[in-house]
Amino acid sequence: MRRPVDVGDPDRLYTVTGGRSRSDGSSFDLVTLIVAECEPAVGQQSEHRRILELCRHPTAVVELAAELSLPITVVRILLEDLLATGRITPRHPRVAAAAALPDSALLTEVLHGLRNL
Amino acid sequence: MTQPADRRPDRTPSSRRTAPTLPVCLLIAAAAAAAAAAALAPEKARAWVGAAAAGGWILLAVAVLVGLATANRLRARVADAEAELLDVRGQLDTRTAEDMGLAQVTLPGVVRLVREGGAPDDVLRQTRPPALPSQRELLRVCVSALADAEQRAATAVASGRRAADDLARSTDDVRLLATATLPDVVATLRGGASVDRALAGTHWPDDPALRALTETAIRELALSERRAAAAQAASAKALSRVQAKSVSMLADLRDMQDRHGEEVFGDLLRLDHSTSQLGLMTDRLALLMGGRSSRAWNKPIVMESILRGAVGRIAAYQRVRLHCSTRVAVVGFAAEGVMHLLAELADNAANFSPPTDEVHVYVEESRTGIVVTIEDSGLRMSEAAQRRAEESVSGRMTDLALLQGTRLGLAVVGGLAVKYGINVSFRPSARGGTGVVVLLPPQLIAQQPQPERAPAVDAGAPAAAGSGAGGVPTPRSAPESPAEPSAAPRTAPADAGLGGAPGERAETAEHTAVRERAADGADEYGRASGHGTDGRGGTYGGGGPEGTDGRGGTYGRSGPDGTSGPDGGGGPDGGGGTDGRGVPLGGLPMRRPGRTMAAAHAELQQRQAANSAARDAARSGPDTTPGGRGTPGTPDPHPGARRTDTGAPDPAPGTDPAGAQRPPRDLGARFGAFHRARRAAGESEPHRLAGDSESPRAAGASEPPPAVRASEPPQATRESEPPRAE
Repeated sequence: MRRPVDVGDPDRLYTVTGGRSRSDGSSFDLVTLIVAECEPAVGQQSEHRRILELCRHPTAVVELAAELSLPITVVRILLEDLLATGRITPRHPRVAAAAALPDSALLTEVLHGLRNL
Repeated sequence: MTQPADRRPDRTPSSRRTAPTLPVCLLIAAAAAAAAAAALAPEKARAWVGAAAAGGWILLAVAVLVGLATANRLRARVADAEAELLDVRGQLDTRTAEDMGLAQVTLPGVVRLVREGGAPDDVLRQTRPPALPSQRELLRVCVSALADAEQRAATAVASGRRAADDLARSTDDVRLLATATLPDVVATLRGGASVDRALAGTHWPDDPALRALTETAIRELALSERRAAAAQAASAKALSRVQAKSVSMLADLRDMQDRHGEEVFGDLLRLDHSTSQLGLMTDRLALLMGGRSSRAWNKPIVMESILRGAVGRIAAYQRVRLHCSTRVAVVGFAAEGVMHLLAELADNAANFSPPTDEVHVYVEESRTGIVVTIEDSGLRMSEAAQRRAEESVSGRMTDLALLQGTRLGLAVVGGLAVKYGINVSFRPSARGGTGVVVLLPPQLIAQQPQPERAPAVDAGAPAAAGSGAGGVPTPRSAPESPAEPSAAPRTAPADAGLGGAPGERAETAEHTAVRERAADGADEYGRASGHGTDGRGGTYGGGGPEGTDGRGGTYGRSGPDGTSGPDGGGGPDGGGGTDGRGVPLGGLPMRRPGRTMAAAHAELQQRQAANSAARDAARSGPDTTPGGRGTPGTPDPHPGARRTDTGAPDPAPGTDPAGAQRPPRDLGARFGAFHRARRAAGESEPHRLAGDSESPRAAGASEPPPAVRASEPPQATRESEPPRAE
């Protein structure tokens, strides 16, 4: 019997979060922009380093999740760790910024256009 | 008076001489006295006195004569007795001489003759018979008894010799059995031979009883050997099913963790943890039973993941503190073994320390390999326990019979240590407990990222290596990371236009995974050592085409790598009949692990189409260079990806300077999120990106859309927009 070769990563999510499964605050929305306040340092958890690298420019939580291939909950927990040590700053999207967004009809159109390509 | 005369025969002549004279003198004296008396007597009385005296004298004479006669008679009797005595003495001497002759001459002669084997009658005939009949009788009896005894002795000696021979033969047989036959048979049977083969090759003992015994023993041995092997194989087989199940459960759980929200996340993690522990136990048993680990990795695993994978399998993983700052990776084939070994040791450490204390795991690189130290603060091991543990992990106790009930883990550690050449030693820890030092030898360490790119080149196109190396050195040597991403987009279009695209697109997911890993390493390595910065110059050029590959999700990660060099070089080479990996495009499809042949075939066709399109594009005119990224995309089944990629630079120089600062990988990442959200929304998707765009984990099994992101597709869409609008 030929076994399928494992292509994923061996770390389980509870080892990434240290056993925590719940982020306690609601400080991170899906679209909260995260900005790194410092450079990744040697000795940090690799996910923290990746987050700090990715957040050199403001990056949304959901993007981080997609980038790290981790569930949102895990990313929130990791971000809370970083926030607790002051390594990141969350920026919540402004209402004004939301007002400047194109309306959903335009977005749907863009979506259709993309799909038709 | 006679008796003393008998006893003193030497005096007899003198008494004999005196005998006649003394009575005569006595008679004469008496006659004289009587005469005197008669003479003296008065006359008147003289007659009477004379008569009385005469009478008295007569009486006396009679008495003397009688006495004399008696003495003579007695004397004669004494002489007779003396003669008889002499005769008897003579006889006695003769007899004694005869006896002596018999004892000293005859009997020894007879004995000699009998010893020489003569029959009793012959012997008697040859011997001078003794004079006396009693002696003759005695001799006859002696001879017959002697002959009898001699015969019996001969028989006894013969039978004793026979017995000794028998004994020697059976001793030889037994020795042969013990030293040659049984060990041979045991070795043959251990080697898996059948009973009949073992019996045929047996050197049989001569003794039928031993023969029967040997055969019985061999058959029993074969039976028990077969039983043990069958039990082991059956349990290994059964365990492999359990292993497969637990691996698929882990994969399912990971999917669910992606798909479900926070409300069940904790439960899923708990299940995940239990399943991982189950996996450790199953693996432990499977390894003991001669089976295999449940998983196998086809890529190097960085040490941090190794440690996490290890402690994730033990119950008390939250008590284990990892101190790992190294970025080295363990080669794929050994990664699972190393993880299992560390898990067992960490489990041991956690079990033997107080439940409130932490177990610390340190990793350091040394010239001799990677040293992993697991220290607990539990009880210090006694010397005997330490010796036992050392013995267990030495791998010498491979026989299941030597296992002690609770030391399965250490036995597995021993097996793994021997298999991979890992050195495990115990020592007292400075924390008060026990420290386990694990030395992973250098051959288990994946090559450092810088040399690691060489295999990637090899895997790519050997011919392209030169051109790839030529393509890599961008003159700009960016100092360190932070400024670099912003500088990168400037070089991106140019590099991408150099024709890296066709080769890039030909990548399979697996290859991507390998490269991506290499890229991660290269990134780290470059950052840590200041190397590879030239590779990063070409980086985003490489990143561009990768975007056309539809790898939106991982775009950013694979962007800043050094591997774009070889691939960029592979591009022009693609026109020469090979793609970026050196696979001949006209050849047979190559199947990658985890993919079907049909998929590989389709991929090959697609690659060929892409290649011909690229050649067309190259022929159509050199002025298409900026559009070169678009052209190879014609057969590309990922229009969305291409769209973003070509779209990305547009706002960058034009509308938004902030966006220009943003490295294109962020755009790709954003698109990845967007795309996933769209998929999660349940829309039909003609061209799945999962195979390429997802993390390598998803390459094997198509990943279901994450529900967390699926819950708010408009938001995801929106969040992909605002930064662009900013």
